[in-house]
Amino acid sequence: MGIFTRFFRNNRDILKDRHMSEPSGDKEVPTTKKLTENVKYILDAFHQTNDLKIRVLKKGDATLLYLESLAEHEKIHEKIFAPIEMGHTDDVFQLPNAKHTHDLEEAVRTILRGHALYLEEGKREIAQFSVTSSFSRTPEEPQNEKVVRGAHDGFVENMMTNINLIRKRVEHRDLTIKYFKLGRKTNTNVAVMYMDGIADPTLVQEVETRLHSVDSDMIHSPGHVEEFIEDQSNSPFPQMLNTERPDRVAANIVEGRVAIMSEGSPTTLIAPATFFMFYQAPDDYNMRWFTGTFVRLIRLFSFVIAVSLPAFYIAVVSFHYEVIPDELIIPVKASINEIAYPPILEALVMVIIIELIREAGIRLPQPIGQTIGIVGGLVIGDAVVRAGLVSNLMVIVVALTAIASFVVPSNELSTALRLLTFPLILLAGTIGFIGIVFGMLFILIHLTRLHSFGVPYFAPLAPLSLVDLKDTFVRLPMYMMKLRPKDAHAIKPIALDPSREWRNRDEQKQSKQGGDQTSTTNKPKE
Amino acid sequence: MRRYLIVVMTGLLFLTGCWDEKQFKNVKLVLSLGFDQGDEGQIIQTVSIPTVNRATEGPGSESLQILSTSAQTPLQARNKIDLMISESYDPSKVKVVVLGEDLAKKNIYPILDDMYRNSRSNLNAYLAVVEEGTAQDVISMNHAGATRISNYVSGLLEAAVSSTHATGENLQLLCAELLEPGIDFSVPMLKIEDEGNLLTFSGMGLFHDKAYTGEKIDAEQTTLFMLLEGVKGRVARLTEKIDDNKKEEILDYVTVNVAENDRKMKIENKDGEISVTINLDMKVKIVEYPSDHLYVKGRVEEIGKKLSETLTEDSVDIIAQLQEANSDIFGIGRRVKAYHPDVWKKIKWEEEYPEISIKPSVKVEVIQHGIIN
Amino acid sequence: MSRRQFFFIIIQTQIGVGVLSVPYELHTVAKQDGWISLLLGAIAIQLLLIGIWVVAKNLPQDTLYTMNDKLYTKWIGRPLSILYILYFIGVGTLIILLFCRMINVWVLPNTPIWVTALLMITVCMYMVHGGLLVLGRMYTMLSILIVFLLILMVFGAKEMQIMYLFPILESGWGKVFSGINQAIFSYFGFIVTLVVYSKVEGTNKQKLTTIVLAHWFVTLFYLFTVLASYTFFSTSELPLVPEPVLYMLKSFSLPIIARIDLFFITIWVINVATSFATYLYLSSIGFSDLFKKQSTTKFIVLIGVVVFSISMFIGMDIKKMEAFNNVVTYSGYVFSVTLPLIMVPLSFWRRNKDKGAGTS
Repeated sequence: MGIFTRFFRNNRDILKDRHMSEPSGDKEVPTTKKLTENVKYILDAFHQTNDLKIRVLKKGDATLLYLESLAEHEKIHEKIFAPIEMGHTDDVFQLPNAKHTHDLEEAVRTILRGHALYLEEGKREIAQFSVTSSFSRTPEEPQNEKVVRGAHDGFVENMMTNINLIRKRVEHRDLTIKYFKLGRKTNTNVAVMYMDGIADPTLVQEVETRLHSVDSDMIHSPGHVEEFIEDQSNSPFPQMLNTERPDRVAANIVEGRVAIMSEGSPTTLIAPATFFMFYQAPDDYNMRWFTGTFVRLIRLFSFVIAVSLPAFYIAVVSFHYEVIPDELIIPVKASINEIAYPPILEALVMVIIIELIREAGIRLPQPIGQTIGIVGGLVIGDAVVRAGLVSNLMVIVVALTAIASFVVPSNELSTALRLLTFPLILLAGTIGFIGIVFGMLFILIHLTRLHSFGVPYFAPLAPLSLVDLKDTFVRLPMYMMKLRPKDAHAIKPIALDPSREWRNRDEQKQSKQGGDQTSTTNKPKE
Repeated sequence: MRRYLIVVMTGLLFLTGCWDEKQFKNVKLVLSLGFDQGDEGQIIQTVSIPTVNRATEGPGSESLQILSTSAQTPLQARNKIDLMISESYDPSKVKVVVLGEDLAKKNIYPILDDMYRNSRSNLNAYLAVVEEGTAQDVISMNHAGATRISNYVSGLLEAAVSSTHATGENLQLLCAELLEPGIDFSVPMLKIEDEGNLLTFSGMGLFHDKAYTGEKIDAEQTTLFMLLEGVKGRVARLTEKIDDNKKEEILDYVTVNVAENDRKMKIENKDGEISVTINLDMKVKIVEYPSDHLYVKGRVEEIGKKLSETLTEDSVDIIAQLQEANSDIFGIGRRVKAYHPDVWKKIKWEEEYPEISIKPSVKVEVIQHGIIN
Repeated sequence: MSRRQFFFIIIQTQIGVGVLSVPYELHTVAKQDGWISLLLGAIAIQLLLIGIWVVAKNLPQDTLYTMNDKLYTKWIGRPLSILYILYFIGVGTLIILLFCRMINVWVLPNTPIWVTALLMITVCMYMVHGGLLVLGRMYTMLSILIVFLLILMVFGAKEMQIMYLFPILESGWGKVFSGINQAIFSYFGFIVTLVVYSKVEGTNKQKLTTIVLAHWFVTLFYLFTVLASYTFFSTSELPLVPEPVLYMLKSFSLPIIARIDLFFITIWVINVATSFATYLYLSSIGFSDLFKKQSTTKFIVLIGVVVFSISMFIGMDIKKMEAFNNVVTYSGYVFSVTLPLIMVPLSFWRRNKDKGAGTS
């Protein structure tokens, strides 16, 4: 693995191999001329692990070391033996795809990366060949972020493939990628991606600083990284956007945000994120803007339902039933008249049942998952009403709430919303509407106070930015989005210059044509 | 912060259902209330309480409980009724308040005080007076329609409002007129017919100050009465006799729908002498005219003229009734107070009102006559 | 802080508990001419606001408290600042008390007031803890609710009877002028201008425009509520209803929800929260200016506890509350009217002194 970029340093004509994020400051251990000593050092470094393969060559004068589990035999043959057999050269060190080192520690690290080492008696040099094997699935569309129209590829577990997907989409030299190694034991590769010249340098700096300060034995996923670098952990709201869609990442990068990827996980983090970003789906931009706006309004409306509907219902039936309109009063009364438990208990029970069904179905294989859905949703729902434990109105309310919470395109936020219903239910059960108001006020204050990488989380509503509402509650036509959203803090605010000048030209043409037509109609008269 | 939140949340968990909780399922809803005059200054309160039993599918079965009790005040009666029913009595969704005629002839404000004072009560309820009967009869009436009495009465009144027979003022709107001097109000009257099986709207009862005067505008005249008040429902239909020479009686009549109405009231003050002119301009559509012949030139204008005459005559009748009852429905007194305050201070309006001259003049213009001539 | 936020901070501070009872208060004194008193009061306040603006312009770097130090010297300024803080705490407490009373009467008759008071105070403490910027952002966002309040009130306009406003000047100019007193009470809160002025971006002129706009917005809002309730209720009914706006809405019902008054009061709670939060902020910033401390967390908690204990002490006792109400509203004259007016000439003197020091 590894992209080797080359660059000149100052005026010295020395070319150096450049490799991603070497943990600098590690001690260097020089090689010795004795082959056995070198081999012994490496073996010890790996604690005599059994998958470290030693192939003795040249009757014991040379050896090839590699981790059997990481290296691919085909590649070893192709890179080392084939050229020699072909007779290009006799000396392994002269092979062009070899990388040389005199440092045993580096050698240890490269073995871990899947390299094969060639050592020879009497030589200090070690030749390294990249023979790593990688297994990755094809970039299929992520299950949790499907779109109707638009790109159908998704990230995979291999970071290089992922970066490749981005680079293919953003073919510009300003797309900058920086590697980090996080996790003392796992040495996970983490990449930070941004557009130089668009992204705010202080933001990039901030992301880097935060990543550098992570000092943990293990980093296994972006979710893991997220907890280390997010602003406020004591909040139900996710402060970085998770996505597995390359088109979404590319769009956000060009908007001036920073993406964080890690090896071994298809999920990419995008920072800074705002609350309303979680309500934008890639689909919106592939629809006509009328439908896009409509869908987005529905989604935001679902936020209100998901958070407050059960609370509202409880407040109504146990405090303020005078707000029920006259026509509904008897049907409502009939439905809840003989329920044994108070509505708050009903609601809590139903909400928890729904969560149970969801959690049970989520990890089961498809066919069983469906069975759970049917048993849980239909059978239990119906039986619970027939048994008179829960009123049918409450079932409607809770089901509606659950559906509304799943409308949010982001899984994290949807979970957060379902969590938020609980305190509101309790408040509504204590002092009715007044409780709900205080609960909502509390949530709003919290959202206003939150920041994600120095950007107000509830932008563009608080602070209010009327211009940015164009892509928040509504989605105006793309050509009207001339400025990048303020909350991305881009240093180059203009996203597009007038792109529909052809309209002016067409109009001119039309008026001209109109003139022509009149002249042509006049002609026959003459 | 988090620890603090957890404490608050667990606290809330234990507090839920304290204090003000009032479970909807545990109350007995009262949708219609009736008050009658009892013996020795007591009042008789009658309520109907629907109890609905849930059915797994479709609407449940419904049973009505009708209770009646006498007490000194409405709230005392409510307490008494509370002792007769399971769970508790709740008047916050009352739709109609029905008063017996005898009770209505006294000051009605004390009866309604609790409704006005309680923050939960429904001020959107209708008020109605039972003519020649008691509220108890209405509430406990066994009508054929099988709907709840509250629905029956409120539906009846709503229909009266939309056909311009009643003002549709709720308790709240009546309150202003109840308290303000120089303005009175009218309340729909109900009558039980067909041996207690049928309820009819029989007109608008005229109130003076806070009590029913015993006079009413008959149901046939209420439409014009409403139009004179400047109120028009969805449909205002007037049937008038305009001819007297046809052999068949039915050919003498015309029915019109009022399309536009514009009422102007002018109050003139000549040295403390108040005179009022009420101009009612209407544009009407002929919807029924059995004698036809509308194609005859000038016939349409003629009908308009005749209508204007008959309606003006009718208006004079109505106004005479109002003055006789000393019921200042049009709020002339309040206007005098507003625009001629010096006169208002000098005179005693109650004594003055029956004496002043009120001249109505109705102008009708026919603008349409349906799809045939 | 942007000028837009400044605008909303001013209006959200002024529109608060008062909205529900302003029409009634004015009516008790000036009868149906209360709206004239309101307008006259607005003009008086307008003049005062210009005075306040002059003071703030002359001392562009200072908040109210540092101004006190500079204008009256430390020996008078410090105690004055403490009095101001006490005044703000007093107003805050009054807001909490009136709020609890209103909730108690209209929505939750059996809930003890400590619950509503505690909720209100903690939520506002959380809001104020975020600092002025969070306040500004919140107020801007929540101002959309004022539009809702207006829309709800429009329901009453259907039944408007302009006649009830006549005869104009029935009770004479004397009553109208004494009504100004009541009108001015409802405008208290403009003092927030003096405290946050230095933190607002923009030139002095732009800021003046903002202040004036905010003032007239509030005036129009009040005028609307006053007229709506005066034309809905008859002159003899109004003295019976202390919260005419709510009472008016009680009889209206929409197809999906009956009883609009409950929704009105629910939205109104938020307006109360914003007013209270401002006073909490004003007093907390006072403490931090006084003790030269950056962090206000401790002060906010302290003030919250103080407000809570005072309001618990006074409770729903009508006599005590009346007395407290009088003390606070009349001391408003001292702190919101008299002292700012005294500051006007002093600020010129101070500016000249600073200029002299600068040139020499």
